[in-house]
Amino acid sequence: MAKFLGVVSLLTALLAASAAQAHAFLDHASPLVGSTVATAPPELTLTFTQNLESAFSTVTVTGPNGARVDTGKAQVSGNTMRVGLKAAGPGTYRVRWHVLSVDTHTTQGSFTFRVGGGR
Amino acid sequence: MLHQSSYSRAFALALLFVPLTCSATLAHCFVGSRFFPATLAVDDPCVADEMSLPTVTWSHTADVPPATEWDVSVEFSKRITENFGISVGDTFTHIRQPGGFVMEGFTNLETAFQYQIAKDSEHELALLAGLVVDWGNTGSVSAGVATPWSVLTPTFYFGKGFGDLPPEAGWLRAFAVTGQIGYQMPTSSFDPVAGVFIPQVLAYGGTLQFSMPYLKSEIVDLQLPDFINHLIPIVEVALQTPVANNFGNSAVTTGTINPGVIWVGSYFQIGAEAMIPVNADSGSGVGFVGQLHLYLDDIFPTTIGQPLIGGSQTVARKPSF
Repeated sequence: MAKFLGVVSLLTALLAASAAQAHAFLDHASPLVGSTVATAPPELTLTFTQNLESAFSTVTVTGPNGARVDTGKAQVSGNTMRVGLKAAGPGTYRVRWHVLSVDTHTTQGSFTFRVGGGR
Repeated sequence: MLHQSSYSRAFALALLFVPLTCSATLAHCFVGSRFFPATLAVDDPCVADEMSLPTVTWSHTADVPPATEWDVSVEFSKRITENFGISVGDTFTHIRQPGGFVMEGFTNLETAFQYQIAKDSEHELALLAGLVVDWGNTGSVSAGVATPWSVLTPTFYFGKGFGDLPPEAGWLRAFAVTGQIGYQMPTSSFDPVAGVFIPQVLAYGGTLQFSMPYLKSEIVDLQLPDFINHLIPIVEVALQTPVANNFGNSAVTTGTINPGVIWVGSYFQIGAEAMIPVNADSGSGVGFVGQLHLYLDDIFPTTIGQPLIGGSQTVARKPSF
């Protein structure tokens, strides 16, 4: 048992000593993942659990007809990514993001939100 | 004898860590947007840099009257290349008979050599092949908890998430299944001490899991409490069926059904499951298994968390929460 506790203690010390940062997870989005909003938002905001490397972090948004509605290069500040949106009417919008956290871990994901009562 | 064995094992583990802390290592099981957690009864379908420290099991044996069994195990997994990894593990077993008689000691050292056959991000599909080796005479044979013979088990693993279902499927997209099937081949066919044949056994099992992290990041953010958004409710089934060289032994299938839950964090996960024997030959009453599992690729992203050779070549994609 003493050996086992020793191993656990060593590992705990290593964890405490390491300045580790994990992958950047999407903490929340505005509009919310899977939500329905009354009118098309002028901007999409993604907030992550880690700070991002702006040069390697991207987001694209497509509107109800499949065309891109984001205004281009996203603005990255710390753990937040923002991109402007063009109005494309009611319907389902798809968000695809791809980010690199400051510890070089890459993550990506996608989700949808809906505007008005469209498909 | 037992103490010498445990010291040697601890020393070997220590030696294992020395070069690793000077190099680099792994990622856990991400396939597309899907994260397959390390499961407690069935292995996940990925090579990875991770450590289970410890896994604790409490159960009652199938003996009449039943004995109480405690198992404490440790497993360390390391990617050698992006797609090839090895695991080393061992278990300390303590069995107390109703009359007070105790059997305890280490089981045989177990290693696994695994190769990632495929990862299909779009369909959240992972395939893995491996050879599991229990090394004979490396545990407490004299205490009756290890065997002098080895066991080779070629094993196939798979995982499939349902995120590629159409959007109309809604919450069903957060489900995933994993499974494994292996064929245990002992290096001896007869146990002269017990006077019985040593059977070849089909070992198989699977999991059904629902990912709250996946639900939140890919389907719908219900703004639930953060703790809930980190949970993966799960049911595991692990079974064994003797299929050859079973003369004179019981041929019944044994195993457990394990309902439980896994909490997934950024650096580690904690799992807890009940263990329900599938029949009287599998145990007596409901047991319990708990596990602390460490993600070495996130704890040590530039050292232990990288493959020893070649580094990471593929983009890991994790659920976000």
